[in-house]
Amino acid sequence: MDENTRLIVSSSPHVRDTRTTSKIMLDVIIAMIPAAIVAICVFGIQALLVLIYCVASAVLTEYVIEKILKKPVTISDLSAVVTGMLLAFNLPYSAPWWMCVVGGVFAIGVVKQAFGGLGANFMNPALAARAFLLACWPTRMTGTAFIPDGITTATPLGIIKEGLDASMLPSMMDMFLGVNGVFGAIGEISALALLIGGIYLICRKVISWRIPVTYLATVFVLELCFGAGFSGALYQIFAGGLMLGAFFMATDYVSSPNTVLGQFIFAFGCGLITVIIRQFGGYPEGVSYSILLMNVAAPLIQRYTAPRVYGIQKQKKESEA
Amino acid sequence: MKKSKMQILKNGILNENPTFRLLLGMCPTLAVTTAAMNGLGMGLSTTVVLIGSNVVISALRKVIPDAIRIPAFIVIIASFVTIVQMILEAYVPSLYAALGMYIPLIVVNCIILGRAEAFAYTNTPGDSFFDGLGMGLGFTLALTLLASIREIIGAGTFFGISLFGSGYEPALLVIMPAGGFVVFGLLLGLINMLTNKYEAKAKAEGDKLAEEVK
Amino acid sequence: MADKEKNTIDWGYVFKVGLILFVITLICTLLLAITNSATAPIIAKQLEETSKQAQKEVLPEATDFKAMDTVDEIAQNVGESIIANIYVGTKNGETIGYAVETKPSGYGGEIDMLTGISTDGKITGVKILSQSETAGLGAKSTEPAFYEQYTGLDALKEVTVIKSGSVNGNQIMAITGATITSNAVTTGVNAAEKAVQYITTEGTQVMETTGATGSAQ
Repeated sequence: MDENTRLIVSSSPHVRDTRTTSKIMLDVIIAMIPAAIVAICVFGIQALLVLIYCVASAVLTEYVIEKILKKPVTISDLSAVVTGMLLAFNLPYSAPWWMCVVGGVFAIGVVKQAFGGLGANFMNPALAARAFLLACWPTRMTGTAFIPDGITTATPLGIIKEGLDASMLPSMMDMFLGVNGVFGAIGEISALALLIGGIYLICRKVISWRIPVTYLATVFVLELCFGAGFSGALYQIFAGGLMLGAFFMATDYVSSPNTVLGQFIFAFGCGLITVIIRQFGGYPEGVSYSILLMNVAAPLIQRYTAPRVYGIQKQKKESEA
Repeated sequence: MKKSKMQILKNGILNENPTFRLLLGMCPTLAVTTAAMNGLGMGLSTTVVLIGSNVVISALRKVIPDAIRIPAFIVIIASFVTIVQMILEAYVPSLYAALGMYIPLIVVNCIILGRAEAFAYTNTPGDSFFDGLGMGLGFTLALTLLASIREIIGAGTFFGISLFGSGYEPALLVIMPAGGFVVFGLLLGLINMLTNKYEAKAKAEGDKLAEEVK
Repeated sequence: MADKEKNTIDWGYVFKVGLILFVITLICTLLLAITNSATAPIIAKQLEETSKQAQKEVLPEATDFKAMDTVDEIAQNVGESIIANIYVGTKNGETIGYAVETKPSGYGGEIDMLTGISTDGKITGVKILSQSETAGLGAKSTEPAFYEQYTGLDALKEVTVIKSGSVNGNQIMAITGATITSNAVTTGVNAAEKAVQYITTEGTQVMETTGATGSAQ
């Protein structure tokens, strides 16, 4: 029997809410606008085009697949738009149109719809698509792909990983604001813009503070343990895709736990893996892989942190009376 | 119910296709299908071994005691594989190099042991020949199809012939093991979808006929 | 009752079953032996041919090759365990160079490669015999655009890898996105240089190398 037609019956208490999926998604889109503006200022019209191609590809893929599978068309819930925007935020400004299209198709078609549509994706679709594109076209997703033409430098994390001249690094304030030559994926540039968006989402109760704060705090503390010093650890917070990942990607409802303890564990795991990859791994950035790995662990975390159901006591061992 | 030889043959290619229906022999399937030529070569080598082992095991089925049938099967299968390996290494070294360590792994390819146990041990050599041929052809077709898709998308070539020119940037993941899983999964889903549609249509027509007859 | 039955083994049955298995195995082994004797010489000849062809590719001037049996000793003396084989290349009876087979560790496993060095101190060619690097990245090491960079370089100096800018002197440009593979091949070439230097100076000189540069891929 089709799962969508089964009636779910449960006992009281019932909660009513006026929030719809599209309203939540609209809030997320609004929260991403500051970062999008920064991206267009830094990278120009190409960044805007990447955004357009990704969103168009995601929405069109969802429409086509739902038509083929004879399911109700859900593009008006704006979830595909959000996935498209998040995908674009993870790509370099120089991503060609076909890469955006393939990414959109993979994110919506394979990661989301093939597994059951909204609410059933086991991984963050945008991030999974980024990993897919990275594996398919590595030279277009790393290193110089992020740097505008005519400038010879590397991304801040790239400079750190390669052990290049530290004077090439942008200053702390540059990193926070996203000015004076901070380069990376489209959505990663300005920590301030992402922070504004993140605080907006928390105030609008779209996301909880738990995952972002725990994620950032874990990275900060672990970097201190690795001898980065206070400013070094803070620099790491602003660098790369950490702010973007902590507020927008790790907080995806479906692929993260929804229990309180579960969210703390999830965010801690993300932070731990991010730092390990940044310190010891072959890649300069570890955020996408850490979130994807924790996504896969999320159901397990959820199961073990499920709160005790009211009225049921834990079974006492048989040996005790 | 006794099946005809043609039915046995068709069974191996369609209804009980070892790759898309029985999902046997996944390891070489995913590993070797990075180029259409390799898929074809592996498929044909496996078919040769399958026919040989099926016929021999079937001919000896009254002689091999039940208690030691598995060791006996393995010895016979391994001998065939080793002979095929030696012949390939001597006469078709390029294919031998491409298939590499997956040739000896044909011995533990579940299709061969599976058909020996499920069919050859309890059927005549004649029928077993056709079962081996059918299963082998089904396997070869499946491998060649999967390998062609992966080669075209992941390398831009088909049987080594460049299709899109040097401007094409292949999606490298498709050639890698992870991509193999993804492509195979999508292909399987597509085949299931088409099969269901076909069967639903056939059933609807059958029901309609039954209605008219009533 | 049941215990008593378990303890008595029907030796007749065991013998019969064992005999059948023995006969099957015997026949199979015979068939294998026949096939082997027919194909083994062909295979051996092929291996020799491919080997010789590869050696000729890296040391084109030579006409004959002979493997050195002191290779392990030499490898130990220069401190390079990745040296697998050394072939002396001769032309008209005169030694004109060496083809050194080294097996450095790449990104996806061992890279089997051959480096040709002439007696007048030049690298005459590099060939990758087998590798399991990433397709489209490290696997590009098998393309002439990469390995021909080594031809003509000074075999008395260490070869180093750069990732950007232009090459000068004893440098080669790494494959974009495949630094580890590029470093591995260079390590193999440098090990070959060390071996040849050791041989030609009869052990009085061993070239110093610092190890290839670079880290992330």
